[in-house]
Amino acid sequence: MATPVVDNPGALGLPHPVPPRRRAPRTSLKVRNALVGWTFVLPNFAGFAVLTLIPVLLLFYYSLTSWNIFGNADWVGLENYQRLVGDRSFHIALGNTFYYAAFHIPLTIAASLGLALLLNQKLRGAAFFRTVAFFPYVTSIVAVAVVWNMLFSPEFGPINQFIGMFVGGELPGWTVSKDWAMPAVIIVGTWRYMGYYMLLFLAGLQTVPTELHEAARIDGAGVWQRFWNVTLPCLRPTMFLVTVMVTIESFKVFDLILVMTEGGPGQATLVLSQYIWQKGFEQFELGYASSVAVVLFLICIGVTVVQFLYNKRRDA
Amino acid sequence: MAARPTALRKTGRVLLYLAMIVAAAGILLPFVWMVISSLKTNNQVFTAPIEWIPDPFRWRNYVDIWIKGDMVTWVRNTMTVSVVVTLLQVVTGSFAAYGFAKTRFPGRDALFLLYIGTIAVPWASYMIPQFQMLSSWGLANTLYSIMLLQAFGAFGVFLMKQYYESIPDSLCEAARIDGLSEYGIWWRIMLPLSVPALASLTIITFVTTWNDYLGPLIYLRDRELWTIQLGLQRFVGDYNAEHALIMTGSVLSVLPIAIVFLLGQRYFVQGIATTGVKG
Amino acid sequence: MNRKIITTMGAAAAASLVLAGCGGGDSPSEAEEPEGPVTISLAGWDFASTPEFETLATAYEDQNPDVTVELKEYPAGEEYDTALTADLAAGTAPDVFIVKNLKNYVTFQEGGTLLDISDVAAELDPATGGLEPMAVDGATYAVPYRQDSWLLYYNKELFDQAGVDHPDGSWTWDDYADAAAELTEGIGEKDVTGAYLHGWQSTVQGFALAQTPGASLDGGDFSFLAPYYERQLAMQDEGSQPTYATVTTNELAYQSQFGTQKAAMTVMGSWYIGTLVAEQASGDADEFEWGLAPAPQFDESTTGTDNTPVTFGDPTTMGINAGIDEAKIATAKDFLTFAAGPDGAAALAEIGITPALIDETVADTVFGLEGVPQDDLSRFAYTTHETLPENPVGPNTSAIQTILGDLHSAVMSESESVDDAIADAQERVANEVG
Repeated sequence: MATPVVDNPGALGLPHPVPPRRRAPRTSLKVRNALVGWTFVLPNFAGFAVLTLIPVLLLFYYSLTSWNIFGNADWVGLENYQRLVGDRSFHIALGNTFYYAAFHIPLTIAASLGLALLLNQKLRGAAFFRTVAFFPYVTSIVAVAVVWNMLFSPEFGPINQFIGMFVGGELPGWTVSKDWAMPAVIIVGTWRYMGYYMLLFLAGLQTVPTELHEAARIDGAGVWQRFWNVTLPCLRPTMFLVTVMVTIESFKVFDLILVMTEGGPGQATLVLSQYIWQKGFEQFELGYASSVAVVLFLICIGVTVVQFLYNKRRDA
Repeated sequence: MAARPTALRKTGRVLLYLAMIVAAAGILLPFVWMVISSLKTNNQVFTAPIEWIPDPFRWRNYVDIWIKGDMVTWVRNTMTVSVVVTLLQVVTGSFAAYGFAKTRFPGRDALFLLYIGTIAVPWASYMIPQFQMLSSWGLANTLYSIMLLQAFGAFGVFLMKQYYESIPDSLCEAARIDGLSEYGIWWRIMLPLSVPALASLTIITFVTTWNDYLGPLIYLRDRELWTIQLGLQRFVGDYNAEHALIMTGSVLSVLPIAIVFLLGQRYFVQGIATTGVKG
Repeated sequence: MNRKIITTMGAAAAASLVLAGCGGGDSPSEAEEPEGPVTISLAGWDFASTPEFETLATAYEDQNPDVTVELKEYPAGEEYDTALTADLAAGTAPDVFIVKNLKNYVTFQEGGTLLDISDVAAELDPATGGLEPMAVDGATYAVPYRQDSWLLYYNKELFDQAGVDHPDGSWTWDDYADAAAELTEGIGEKDVTGAYLHGWQSTVQGFALAQTPGASLDGGDFSFLAPYYERQLAMQDEGSQPTYATVTTNELAYQSQFGTQKAAMTVMGSWYIGTLVAEQASGDADEFEWGLAPAPQFDESTTGTDNTPVTFGDPTTMGINAGIDEAKIATAKDFLTFAAGPDGAAALAEIGITPALIDETVADTVFGLEGVPQDDLSRFAYTTHETLPENPVGPNTSAIQTILGDLHSAVMSESESVDDAIADAQERVANEVG
């Protein structure tokens, strides 16, 4: 299969003469375009609407009821949301989720972008290292939790033994200490997901035209300038994807915390998703749990819309 | 880059490799532990301090897992589900992504935000209504349920849309002038150009489906339908767990993915053809 | 129940329901009277390592050739509840199911998933462990067929090596702590401790709740936990047992700590008898002589073999799905009467499981198994105890246990002082539960 050869300098994103403007689209053309657009979206949207959208909409409805999974879902209006206002555990979970997100998001983006830039080069063994970087995401989460917990073990763990060689005094208790449990989880979270997002960045990096790099180099631009002025602008769609996904995944973080600390010690690492699980499937207050999920949804969508608008403005 | 291979540059390279090898060893440590544990007896797996060398080596675990567990069935089911889900996700996802990235219709952006919005809802919070729906259609306790659950996720659409956006519109414009239909543009221009993104989506979807646990847990009951993750869970009893066998199974379950990943390497970094698209 | 759910679902979903028809119905044999062959389905978990369901089913089928008990397998652990909950919500759960965690019993009952089986309960021996507290407002919805109680397991050889007297049934918790310290010192090996305390919250709280006079879960006052926690903390501080930090971060298993002689004694539920015997036979555990003793007591008023020691343990209970076919109710009830009665108990004892109804036949069977200790104290410990539930039946039990679980990890990891953690838990119960 031959690569399409299209006679157009604009393919490089370089300044180019504006293609001849066609007639202003008439309404029928607009309708036709909309129909074409819909035919593309429809196969996926049909499955998505039935399998995901309807249950999600039901979730919004249930957040206004006292549903306990088995019985009737009695309408209670905003009662669940009022309860959230005074629920201290919810506040703790909310705070912890923001704590996790505030560190996990920048760390993961930096680590995965760094890895992608490094492993996008023609290095000997790059293929092997790319596989290695992706491995944490593939490895069973139970094994991940077990090993990291052992590494973090305050008495027998290699990490504290290592730190102990340089600093005296009390060493961090990591997963069994109120103050250190969250940093421990953040470290493991970043470690686990950096390969995943590296993959997305790698795909994005392939769209950066090598000619642009060459041209910039000939103009005498240094590595840093090339990264800032060529790579980063070209990566913007990927950056948007990664930022949104990392943000959402951070706010939704669940299984990693469940297997590492179960939200403990005390409530030191209790996060929103786990609180939803606790309320919904340990205490069967699914109506209330749904209202927590709606709050989580609103936070994520709020952050995403801001990113979306920012991205649009940069595009314009 | 090969302009001046000075000694400084060489040492830099060596140091870089050294750093990367150390980092790789650190990153792989949990996997190494998995392999080591898979060669231990059950009561040796968890000890304080950690025992890094099994004593004795228990190779029998790799035989037992096939006898005690129904690995053949589990792998077959997991493979079936993962392949179907990946295919559906990649095809419908990239198709829909073209609609979102390169065509215009009213409500496009709102619809797209709706897609992303559902990613933000934890699955656990709506899995019960979804389960009620699917089981009322008689799909609970079938592999179809798992396929349907995963196949139309929003992530694939999102990933592909963002990738298409980094492909210049002028390419499509030119193709339109050349008389290609929108479907033709998708098939003949976009798909070939998006190989790295398709490769990423494929591997990510495959791994996610392969390792999914909660979905099969809720939907699958019959033994002959179990996936690997569900099957390995049966080595965890109420008060006992056969950790060594679980680790054996986990190692075996990672291997196919590692192989696929290594083989697919070149597609991740295949420089796309915009470079060849010059006049 | 099915109908309710459908009406609450979206119109689109309901419309497609009609199109797809209703799948997953039961077998077409809808006999009006339970003459002729009847099939009832039973939910259990992990049949490969949990033979009790098959044992009960087969034993019942032998007595009732007309009945087939069809087993439906669920995963073990907490996943059982998750998966069963989904099936109950969708109306696809089996006719008879196990209420595995007592703390969910009231939710299941209030949710209308359980049939009133007070008539079955009335037929059972009142001595059946854990039967009486199952009544909710005078009606019973599930009956216990199995009840494990917590006991003290000790390694006779390590006791002799350290020169410490074997337990004689007279121990309070202070005696236990003293013995643990003496053992640790007497054995004098680096990785071997006198005692082992597993990481679960029940290992401390179950005893405190059952043994402390006047203690209750829903009274809002948890000060009864303080002496139990202070004792365990002192023990881990002086090294007579591995710390909670080590137990959790290194995922220590009680089977390997006690079974490979890294701890001279541990408190654990009676299910471990069968496991330990099996592991010694297979070589997973070391060969050594061990024994059972009553769990250490709150004070001397309940110690000694002429008293009844107090311990804890939740019964495992069985109930009937409220959505069961009318025609099958009689058979299902008969099955429950069998499973919770002496015949079921005898069948369970033969596979090393502790039934809710422990009579002499059961004890003879269990102690007739190869590898079970034969001394008098072991038999006394197994047969004589007042076992109180870890999760007393109540609408708020589950929520309170979550809060107490947080207290457990905060205190045992020494992130918070005992008094602060208790005050915090009390405040949370007042704030969140109710």
